[in-house]
Amino acid sequence: MVGAAEEAQLNRLENQVDNGGGGAWEYLCLVRKLKVRRSEKVLKHGLSILNNPNKRSKLGGDEWTLHEQVAIAAIDCQCLDVAKGCITALQAKFPESKRIGRLEGMLLEAKGLWGEAEKAYSRLLEEDSLDQVIHKRRVAMAKAQGNISGAIEWLNKYLEIFMSDHDAWRELAEIYVSLQMYKQAVFCYEELILSQPMVPLYHLAYADVLYTLGGLENLQAAKKYYASTIDLTGGKNTRALFGVCLCTVAIGQLSKGRSKEDKESSDLQSLAAMALEKTYKQKAPSKLPLLTANLRNLKLLS
Amino acid sequence: MAEDLVLDTAIRDWVLIPLSVVMVLIGVLRYFVSKLMRTSQLPDAKIVKEGQVVIRARNLRAAANFIPVKSFRARKVYFSNEDIQLENCDPQAITVDIENGLLYVPKGQAQNPQAQMFSDPNMAMDMMKKNLSMIIPQTLTFAWVNFFFSGFVAAKIPFPLTQRFRSMLQNGIDLSTVDVSYVSSRSWYFLNLFGLRGLFSLILGEENATDDTQRMMQMSGFGFDPSKSLSAEKDSLDIVQHEWALPKFEQRAESVLRKFIS
Repeated sequence: MVGAAEEAQLNRLENQVDNGGGGAWEYLCLVRKLKVRRSEKVLKHGLSILNNPNKRSKLGGDEWTLHEQVAIAAIDCQCLDVAKGCITALQAKFPESKRIGRLEGMLLEAKGLWGEAEKAYSRLLEEDSLDQVIHKRRVAMAKAQGNISGAIEWLNKYLEIFMSDHDAWRELAEIYVSLQMYKQAVFCYEELILSQPMVPLYHLAYADVLYTLGGLENLQAAKKYYASTIDLTGGKNTRALFGVCLCTVAIGQLSKGRSKEDKESSDLQSLAAMALEKTYKQKAPSKLPLLTANLRNLKLLS
Repeated sequence: MAEDLVLDTAIRDWVLIPLSVVMVLIGVLRYFVSKLMRTSQLPDAKIVKEGQVVIRARNLRAAANFIPVKSFRARKVYFSNEDIQLENCDPQAITVDIENGLLYVPKGQAQNPQAQMFSDPNMAMDMMKKNLSMIIPQTLTFAWVNFFFSGFVAAKIPFPLTQRFRSMLQNGIDLSTVDVSYVSSRSWYFLNLFGLRGLFSLILGEENATDDTQRMMQMSGFGFDPSKSLSAEKDSLDIVQHEWALPKFEQRAESVLRKFIS
């Protein structure tokens, strides 16, 4: 994830480069460091450096890193000729390299030659069965072909070995959610919360899934996780605020039938409703009547 | 006493400086030789997996209070189960289908590293290569210094020292009357051997291969045993008390929202 300060710096640099202010190489380095996906810009500015022999020779050994970066960006933009050119140049420099093998596989993927790409990857995996990038490429390939169950299978296989890779867990969680396999998604989100307990996004997503699952216990847990999201974001997350309101209503409906009056003596929901009102007043005054009407319907606002 | 011990300038030109230069050159040479011989060793899948298991178990231990009790119990069983079948199966655990927890190490399987080393020719080969690049040049240079330059004083340090430094600075000279601030040639060799590390890291970059002291540490810590860390992790996981932290968060959220509204 990219921090706000870094993103501001990136945008500033991008603006500068776009307007011909120089600093293209610094921009490309930053893109690489932050691992952001701005393929079009990378392609444009990277090529402008690569096509200028003077600038290129100034980079020294970094020239090859740039080749790789541009190749990946070109694959992303479907400029397959450019990618091909970069990869051939790299191949001439480093024959036998696994990293170039990966690039070739990606090029095959971009052309839609799934079978050949698969073959290329399995060949690479034979040499080194622990190459994380290739395992991930396989998952991505299965996903690109629409073979979601295949992707899940590959991901599970990957996670069996690299089980502390939280990005993979997140991917798996999102796939499960997209397939409405919420129980499995719950497990993945728990795993994410375990590995990074202070990231509010995971708490929020976990609460969402729990809320979707329904049932009194899950709803109560969901409300708690919405509350923790509110705590971690300082009340700025609108989704969490709405979540608290909806959970309270749902819990009320479920426990209405029972005589057991375990009404939790908390005014979290009314506070959340007030916070929502305040946010809407500041950010979107035109939508405020809609909000108040809805909250009144939910009997959260008097 | 030995105040009037005058050192020939030829000693400076033919012993002191050549010795230092040779030491530097050998260090550089060794760096490149070991770089050439270094093989990128493929890590074993089992070892990688064990490392990852330990990380995940550690995460579970550290953040246990952030997940509901049920989920925690299921995971604890999943990690440290010994005989009992998984009762509280979660979807992931079913697919994995194991009887023993991930952290469970069968008795007797904890092989000692010595045996492991002999069973794995690769490891022995690696050790030999390390030795080749470390011990052989050192012995050779030591023999060379001993043969040509032993038994005389090569330099004088500009400040007096106590008697205790005699064994450090006057190795190879058995005269108790010589002032301690004189350095024998063999001692100069040792000083160079251990003192040039800073220079090497300057010339060859930070992580150079000539770091002798570090390597010696590695040698002594060679017997790292992953199964030990697994069972240690299991023990500490067993005693974790689970206390769900989320109810507290509700109150904290309330106070946050109060502040937000006001």
